Amino acid sequence: MPEANQLSPAVPTAIGASATLRAMALVALVVGAVMLAPLMLDTYMLNILVRAFFVAIAAITVDIMWGYCGTLTFGQSAFFGIGVYALAITFTEYGFGPWQAVLAIAAAIIAAAAVAGLTGWLSFYPGSTPLYASIVSLVVPIVLVQILYSGGTFTGSSSGLVGFETFDLEFDNWFRLAGLALVATAVVALIMMRSDTGRLLKALRDNDERCTYLGINTSRYRIVVLVLTAIVASLAGFGYAAFGGVAAPENASFTFGTRLIIMVALGGRGTVIGAIVGALSIEVASAYLSGSLPYVWELIIGIALITVILAFPDGLLGVFKRIAYGGRPLENGATVQLRPMATATGTKAESGVAIEARELGKHFGSLSVLDGVQFKANRGELLSLVGPNGAGKTTLIRCLSDGRERSSGFVAIAGHPIDHLPPSRIVRFGLGRKFQAASVFETLTVAECLRVARTHRARPALASTSPVLELPAAAISVVERSGLADRRGEEARNLSHGLKQALELAMVLALEPEVLLLDEPTAGLTRAERQAFADILTSLASGDRLCILLVEHDLDFVRDISSRIIVLHQGRIALDGSVDEVVDSELVREIYTGQQSSSLRSAS
Amino acid sequence: MLTIALDAVTTAALLFIISSGLLIVFGVMKIINFAHAAFVTVGAYAALVGTRLGLPWALVLPLAFATGAACGALTEATIVRRLYQRPLDAILATWGLGTVIGQLVTLIFGREVQFVQAPITGTIDLFGLDYSAYRIAMIAAAVIVAVAFTGLLSGTRLGLSTRAVIMNEMLAQGLGVDSSRVRLVTFALGSGLAALAGALITPLSSVDPNMGLPWLISAFMLVMVSGGSLPTLAVSCIVLGGLQVIVSTFVNPILGGLTIAICAAIVLRIRPEGFARA
Repeated sequence: MPEANQLSPAVPTAIGASATLRAMALVALVVGAVMLAPLMLDTYMLNILVRAFFVAIAAITVDIMWGYCGTLTFGQSAFFGIGVYALAITFTEYGFGPWQAVLAIAAAIIAAAAVAGLTGWLSFYPGSTPLYASIVSLVVPIVLVQILYSGGTFTGSSSGLVGFETFDLEFDNWFRLAGLALVATAVVALIMMRSDTGRLLKALRDNDERCTYLGINTSRYRIVVLVLTAIVASLAGFGYAAFGGVAAPENASFTFGTRLIIMVALGGRGTVIGAIVGALSIEVASAYLSGSLPYVWELIIGIALITVILAFPDGLLGVFKRIAYGGRPLENGATVQLRPMATATGTKAESGVAIEARELGKHFGSLSVLDGVQFKANRGELLSLVGPNGAGKTTLIRCLSDGRERSSGFVAIAGHPIDHLPPSRIVRFGLGRKFQAASVFETLTVAECLRVARTHRARPALASTSPVLELPAAAISVVERSGLADRRGEEARNLSHGLKQALELAMVLALEPEVLLLDEPTAGLTRAERQAFADILTSLASGDRLCILLVEHDLDFVRDISSRIIVLHQGRIALDGSVDEVVDSELVREIYTGQQSSSLRSAS
Repeated sequence: MLTIALDAVTTAALLFIISSGLLIVFGVMKIINFAHAAFVTVGAYAALVGTRLGLPWALVLPLAFATGAACGALTEATIVRRLYQRPLDAILATWGLGTVIGQLVTLIFGREVQFVQAPITGTIDLFGLDYSAYRIAMIAAAVIVAVAFTGLLSGTRLGLSTRAVIMNEMLAQGLGVDSSRVRLVTFALGSGLAALAGALITPLSSVDPNMGLPWLISAFMLVMVSGGSLPTLAVSCIVLGGLQVIVSTFVNPILGGLTIAICAAIVLRIRPEGFARA
C-alpha cells in the first residue's frame, strides 16, 4: 500500500533528538543545583526540604494514580506509613546494622506490595466505580492507623516510635540523597508517563469501558500501577523515617493522604512536576505557618483546595503553562507514521459460524427484555437488526458482548462460548463492538487512540513512544478515507461527531475482529458520511469476510447494504430473512409506518 | 444477651439516621458528600448553642436541621453545582469544605470537648433490664426519619421529581423536571439530616470539632452497600451495625469500629450490587 506511506511523511528524527538533549541538560542542571544548594541554605531550611523531598516522592505516586489513571486515592499515605514503620520497627527490635537495613527495606517493599495488592483486588474489578475505589482507598489508612494504635510497644501505639538508631549522615548529604532520589523518581515517572504505556494509563482514565472493549484488562493494569506506586511511596516513607528518626501514626493517616492529594491538585495533576511543586510549596509553607497559626493554616489549605478545584482544575502549573504558551495546543503524535501490517496475523477461516445465540434471555424480575432469542450469523454476512425503540436491540448487543449480561441462554462468538466472561476476554475471541455514542479517548490524539486499540496485539513500549504504528489494512483504509490521517496529531475531543465515529470504527477494526457489532453507527452523520460508512461496511463484509451485526433505524440504509435482516419486536425475533422478505412484510410496514394491518386489528 | 441485642438495634438506629442524608444525596447526585461529617458537627454545635440558650428540645432539633440545610443549600449553590461534570472533583471539593467548616468551628468554639444534657434521662425497665431511655428514643427517631423520608418521596410532588431524577435525569429534564432545583433541595435536605443526626447524637457522645469523622466511613460504606435504596439501607444498618456491636463486645472495640468498613468492602467485592436485590 504505497498510498499509506505518502500520507505519512517520514519522521523528522532531529526534532526528537534535540528535545531529548534539552531534557538531559535540564536534568543535569537540576542535579547540579541539588548538589550545590546545601552550601547556601541554613540547617532549618535543609531539614524542612529533606522531609519535603520524601513527601514529594509520595505526591508523585498520588499524581500517577489520580492524574494519569483517574483513581482519586486517599490511601497512598498508608504505603508511606508502611515504609516508615518497616524501618522504625526493624531498627527498634533488632538494632541498627547492614543486615537490619536490608531486612527493613525488604519488609517495606513486601508489606507495601501485599497491602496494595489486597487493596487493588478490593477496589478494581469489572464493574467497580471510581467512587468506590476512592472510598476503599480511604478505608486503608484508617484501618492501618487503628492497627498501629493497638500494636502496644511493638508499634509504639499513639506516641509512635522514637530513639532508634538510624543512618548517620550529615544534613548536607541527606539533602543531596533525598534530592537525587526525588529527581530520579520524577525522571522515571515522566519517561514512563510519556511513553506509549503512559498513554494507555490515560486511556484508562478517559474511558474505562472503551478499554475493556478493546480487550484490555483494565482492573489488572490498575492493580499493577497501584502496587508499583505503593512500593515507591513505601520507600519514600522509609527515607523519611531514616532521616527523621521518628515514626508516628500521622505518617500513615488519611489526613496525610488527603494532604498529598491537595499538593497534587494545587501543583497541577497529571504532570508529575506539578506534584513536586505542590508538595514543596505546601511543606515549606506549613513548616513556617502551622506553628504560628495552626487552625488558620488548615483553614487556608481548605479554602485553597476548593478554589483550585473550582477555578484552576489544572493547578499552578496549568496557570503557568497558559501564561507561557498562551493555550496553544501541543501536537503529539503528528509525526507518528501509520503503516499497514505486512500480513494479517494468522490465517482465519473465510467462512463459518461467527455468532451463535441460543434461547437467549434477559430479565429484570418479571420483566423480560429479551426472550428466547435464537439465531446464527456467518462470516461475510452483513446482518441488520431492526425494530422499534425498546425492542431490545441494544440489550441484545450487550448480551452478545458481555458474558455477565444475559439471564439465560447460550452465546458463542467465533466458536467460543462466552460463558460469564467480561468483555475484555470476549474481544480476544475476535469480537469488536462500536458503541452508539462515539466512544473514544477524549484527551488522546488520533494516533494514540489507535495505538491503544492495538494494545492486546502489540504491547506498548514502557519507556518510549514508537514512531511507527502498524495497523490492519481495514483500519488504515477507514483512517484514510475519513480524512483522519491528516489529523492524527490532534486530540480526539476536537474532532467532529462524524470523525469521532470514524475513529472509533478504526479503533475497533484495529482489533482485527471477526465479528463486528455496530450500534446505530450512522446516527447523526451527514449524507456523504453515511454513504462512506455504507461503502466501508459492505467491503468489510464481502472483502474481509467479517460478520457484521448492525443495529439501524433507517430502513433505506439497511435495504441498501444488508445481506439479511432480523426484526426484533418486544424482546423476541419476529422475522429473520432476506432483505426483500423482511422489508416488504406486513409487520415491518406496520412498525415503521404505524399502519395496522386488518388481520392484527381484528385480533386485538 | 438482651443488652447486646438492644445495643445492636440502637446502634443501627443511629447509623441509619446519620447515613440517610448521605444516601439521598448519593441517589440524586451520584456523589458522596465528604462534608457530611462536617454537617454532623454543625448540627451538634447548633444543639449545644440551642441548649445553652435554654431552648426546649422541640426547638433545638428544628434549629439544628435548619442550620444544616442552610449550609447545604449554600454549598450546593456555590461549589457542588459547578462540578456536576467532574464527580471526583466534587468529592474533593466537599472534602475541602469539610476541613474549612471543621477549622471554623474550632476557631469559634475552641478545641475542647463539650457536653450536652440529654432531653430524656434515666433508664427504662425493659424485660427486667435497665436500659438508657435516650438510646431507646433513638429507635423511635430512626423510625420517624424513615417514615418521613418515605412519605416525602412517595407522597409529594417534589418526591416524585426526585425519584424521576434518581432513575433517569436526562429523561426527567426532558419532561420538564427542574433537576437543578431537585439537586439543590436534595443537598439541603441531606445536609439538614446530617445536622439533625449530629444534634441527636450529642447527648450520647461529647461535642468536639472532629466528632463527625468517626461516623463518616461507616456511613459511606453503608450507603455504598445499600445500593441507594432506603429499605436496603435499613437492612444494612441492622446487619452491619449488629456485627459491629458483636465484634466490639466479644473481640475488641477498635476492631469493632472497623467492622462495617471491612465487611462492606468484602461484601461489595463478592457481590457488587451489595445488599440490593439484583
